[in-house]
Amino acid sequence: MLPPAALRATGLVKDYRRGRAVDGVDLTVAPGERVALLGPNGAGKTTTLLMCLGAVTPDAGTVEILGHRLPRERTRAMAGVGFGAGYLPLPDRMRVIEYLRMYGRLAGLRRPDDAARAALERFGAPHLAPAMGTEMSSGQKTLVGIAKAILHRPSLLVLDEPTASLDPDIALRVRTALREISDTGGAALLVTSHNMVEVERLCERVVFLSAGRVVADGTPDEITERFGRDDLEGVFLHLAELRDREGALR
Amino acid sequence: MTEVYTGAAASFWRVMAVARRHGYVFQRSPHRLFDVVVWPAVDVVLFGSIGVFAAGRAGTAASQVALYLLVGVVLWHVVYQAQIALATGFLEETWSRSVMSLMVTPMREWEYVVGVALFGMVKLVLGVGAVALIAWFAYAFSITSLGLGLLPVAALLLATGWAIALFVIGLVLRFGAGAEALAWGILFVVMPLSGTFYPVSALPGILRPIGEALPTTHAFAAGRAFARGAPMPWHELGVAAVGTAVLLVVALAYLGWMLRVFRARGLVTRYS
Repeated sequence: MLPPAALRATGLVKDYRRGRAVDGVDLTVAPGERVALLGPNGAGKTTTLLMCLGAVTPDAGTVEILGHRLPRERTRAMAGVGFGAGYLPLPDRMRVIEYLRMYGRLAGLRRPDDAARAALERFGAPHLAPAMGTEMSSGQKTLVGIAKAILHRPSLLVLDEPTASLDPDIALRVRTALREISDTGGAALLVTSHNMVEVERLCERVVFLSAGRVVADGTPDEITERFGRDDLEGVFLHLAELRDREGALR
Repeated sequence: MTEVYTGAAASFWRVMAVARRHGYVFQRSPHRLFDVVVWPAVDVVLFGSIGVFAAGRAGTAASQVALYLLVGVVLWHVVYQAQIALATGFLEETWSRSVMSLMVTPMREWEYVVGVALFGMVKLVLGVGAVALIAWFAYAFSITSLGLGLLPVAALLLATGWAIALFVIGLVLRFGAGAEALAWGILFVVMPLSGTFYPVSALPGILRPIGEALPTTHAFAAGRAFARGAPMPWHELGVAAVGTAVLLVVALAYLGWMLRVFRARGLVTRYS
């Protein structure tokens, strides 16, 4: 029997007061697959991600994580999910090791300290363990956030702008570690990023959203070819231009 | 292979993790001592001194006023500390923008609430302990003079404090930072209406029905009855218990509703 998809979202729709943010998105991530969710600002990426994580309830559609349906089986589903976002801060009044220990416990780990040290080690940051949230640079906080996401060896790793504030060498280290986690640990990755080079290097499949809809889904090469552009950045700029033109017509 | 807890053990450790997290915050936030020790100390000195002054002027009859004020201020801090600890515990997550991260964990909502309330008990013991000690040292009033009757009264006030905090959390989920002030302010509406320091018959006639409807009114009345050595106030305790149970159910239902609205409207983006 085949293992269930890491993520299976079907027919997601979300309306806000300002209009429809997500309009019938289908998104499946296979076990171990590395997928990027891309699109210009306002394309519906964050709302889609939040619905997939159970933080926002879709108006229509369903979400299943590792075979567990949201929201009914949220606790079981979340046990297999790691989430990190470059924009989420660390609590000011906690040391890194305390923060990671807490999230390890929330994930049910019996030995959260060991897992925390291993996660920091993986990103070359064991020295951050005793640091307070207020003592770190934004890049270091981002690293700790990613360490938190992989603590419990999740089967689905969801990362929103994971390397946004990292220096190129640290970003490379993160990408390498994420590939390794996916290749050797079998974790599926769902990543959003504005760094197209990073996406091309990390992900084997790209899903482009525009105006709340999936407008392209395939390998980076297939997508660039389909839109007649040299790279993903060209596709991104093309879609952003289309969105601006449509906005002007309205 | 990552070893994990499951079932009740996993819940236990999640509750403990949340309690510990709030322990760290408290330990490293000296300003929080104002809520837990400084304001309680100010209250007991203020009300204790008013009571002593009144008793000195008006003789024996007014000595009961001093007693009522001291019983009231100690019991008041049970409900106040229970409420403020739980409500500000959740506010801490909004200030540190942790709401989103917490939502994407296997933690259940009740585990979070129990974890915060558990550490809140530590604050409550500190706060009420400070009030009780000052009342004893400065005004020779021992809260233990209420006898075992103190236990049900304190338990009812504790549960009422938690119920009001759940209501405040629901409002913050729905209305965001604008509702934060209620965490500190809401009880100061409840206090005079509950007859914390006086029988509810002392309230203006128009407010008396509201006072009578509050479970806190009956808990404070029971506390005063114990203090003056009256027989077991079964009626007051019974009404307070039923009222507190109803309030808890309503607060939980409201919080559940606000959580659904929070998810449906995507309000989590306020904290990310």
